[in-house]
Amino acid sequence: MAPATQFEIAQSPGDALTAVVFAPDDPSRLLVSSWDRKLYMYDVAQGKEEATLVKTFDHRAPVLAVCFGANKDVAFTGGVDRWVKKINLATGEQTVLSEHTAPVRCVVYSPDHSILISASWDCSLHIHHISDDSKPSTPLKIQLPGKAYSLAASPSKVVVAMTARLVHIYDLPTIASVLALSATSNGHSDTDAKADNSGIPTPVVSDIQPWQQRESPLKFLTRAVSCMPNDAGYATSSIEGRVAVEWFEDTPESQARKYAFKCHRQVAPEEEGGGDIVYPVHALAFHPVYGTFASGGGDGTVALWDAEAKRRMRQYQGLPEGVHSLGFSGDGKYLAIGTCPNFEHGMEDYSGVGRTHVFIRELSETEAKGKGSK
Amino acid sequence: MPGKKRAHVPDVQELLEKPWCYYCEREFEDLKMLISHQKAKHFKCSRCNKRLNTAGGLAVHMTQVHKETLEMVENTIQGREGLEVEIFGMEGVPADILHEHQRAIVLEYNAKQMERRIATGNPPPGQGGHVSTKRLKTETSEELKARLAEFKAKNAAAKAAKAAAANGGISAEANAGSPGHISPPPGAQSAFNLPARPTVNALAPTVLPARPPYHYNASVPSATASAISDDIDEMIRMAEAGIKPPQQQSPAPEASTEKKGKKEKHVRMVYGTSDASPEERISTLTAYNFVSVGA
Repeated sequence: MAPATQFEIAQSPGDALTAVVFAPDDPSRLLVSSWDRKLYMYDVAQGKEEATLVKTFDHRAPVLAVCFGANKDVAFTGGVDRWVKKINLATGEQTVLSEHTAPVRCVVYSPDHSILISASWDCSLHIHHISDDSKPSTPLKIQLPGKAYSLAASPSKVVVAMTARLVHIYDLPTIASVLALSATSNGHSDTDAKADNSGIPTPVVSDIQPWQQRESPLKFLTRAVSCMPNDAGYATSSIEGRVAVEWFEDTPESQARKYAFKCHRQVAPEEEGGGDIVYPVHALAFHPVYGTFASGGGDGTVALWDAEAKRRMRQYQGLPEGVHSLGFSGDGKYLAIGTCPNFEHGMEDYSGVGRTHVFIRELSETEAKGKGSK
Repeated sequence: MPGKKRAHVPDVQELLEKPWCYYCEREFEDLKMLISHQKAKHFKCSRCNKRLNTAGGLAVHMTQVHKETLEMVENTIQGREGLEVEIFGMEGVPADILHEHQRAIVLEYNAKQMERRIATGNPPPGQGGHVSTKRLKTETSEELKARLAEFKAKNAAAKAAKAAAANGGISAEANAGSPGHISPPPGAQSAFNLPARPTVNALAPTVLPARPPYHYNASVPSATASAISDDIDEMIRMAEAGIKPPQQQSPAPEASTEKKGKKEKHVRMVYGTSDASPEERISTLTAYNFVSVGA
């Protein structure tokens, strides 16, 4: 059994980070998006406890979201500059896929359907069909009832968490078929649209309805969403130190199984009046193999949970700042932990410079494996 | 989320049923313990260590055996050392003091419940789990209290009826024009007052308007509030002085505001804005702002 080890990446991003993500097909490639307008690509040496910065990709504005495409050389980013971009990591070539009217908060790619979905604070989703074709296809636009804060995809579903605790679940096969239909019918207007917007395709508004509309079981602003890799359900977290686990299946039995629990809280010292200090749960990530999940909070801890058995399995403490992003590698052997300072009320001089770190934790064989509910 | 078995949380009824010592306000798990406590602490002869059953018994013992007169009961809290009241276990506790004690228990219980609800964020029992937001909780506590008062009132009515039936035969004794169990003034009723329990001395010509003591109880902590003397005249004087039930209303809103304050103190959220994510806030800062060059 390999020992569980953790190390910090030496060349950390120049400012607070927004996302850390491993390439699904290569545990040695890690991407980190940052507020310093750059996307960082690292090479995590296998078994040597070190990672080297390979490349950075400049953006016009802070990068809020990153995800991998079909392979480890394709990535998608979204940022404050409202662009959704495709980046060829090997050549450095960047293509703008679409433009939102507000910053893009999340991007997620579904390898099964070759679909990229971007979510923005302009209350919309853009759906892109990704082909090897270098010219970007016309995206579909789905209007949302609120600003999107988090987005996650399972093999067949996409979960969008929005303001006012709204949660919409879209069915990916449905989206894929609508997208295929519009691609054939809009062959001509595609080129027209491109002409009037400096090469950036204008999205076509679609009326795809959500497969399910739910209200978050958590009473506060949703912070993160992550889907179970086995397509059974998803977890959401809120700014008020709580995580909820829910199931997709809309039967009373399945819905009765949903639950929520408190986490990422600290007891305040008595002299400060006691009580709890409640941290936001910034990050959630499901383990790709075992179906357990990790949560990262503003308190600088990462906890591993067994969703089935409703148990906490591990807790990693002592991280220097709040945990803002988590990412498991495709084989589930590594966990990337991105930390940077928490943003608190009325903070006008927020900066993550020098206080942003990325840790790689090598998990031992059984570390993230749940015991099962029995 | 370890699966520890939960500790048993007693409800109000359980707490109210706990026996307690009239002389020192101590609570006991059962009546036997209370009686042995009273014999050891309050009814023990200082001369020969003989344990008597009651204060009266001890007085008789003192005069007969040691040719002394017992002045007061020992180890009591202030105001309870008198020999006039005949106490044995829970029997003989004057109705007003009993009321006061029960009221203190209920108040403490309610406060604890509220505190716990705030600490855990759990809805009050029997609310189904969803719907109730934090804001609603304060309301539900009011409802809870109202419900409690209602329940008590119902109980009181039932007990009063029962006691009245029992008193029927000796109504001559339960004179004084007041029919045994005075129904509490309406104001007191809505605040968490408890019905009298049928105690032995309930037969005794019932302590006058058992209410007056509430007045100063509201401002003085219950333990010291026991300046209650058995001096009936004083009680009457106070009643005449116009102690009105409305005055009791004041502590209730006060308590609720205090609880609100506690709620804020108890849970401090690092990020509490519910209409914008931290990223949105950061993106508005000049350092991270984006100004479209083309536009």
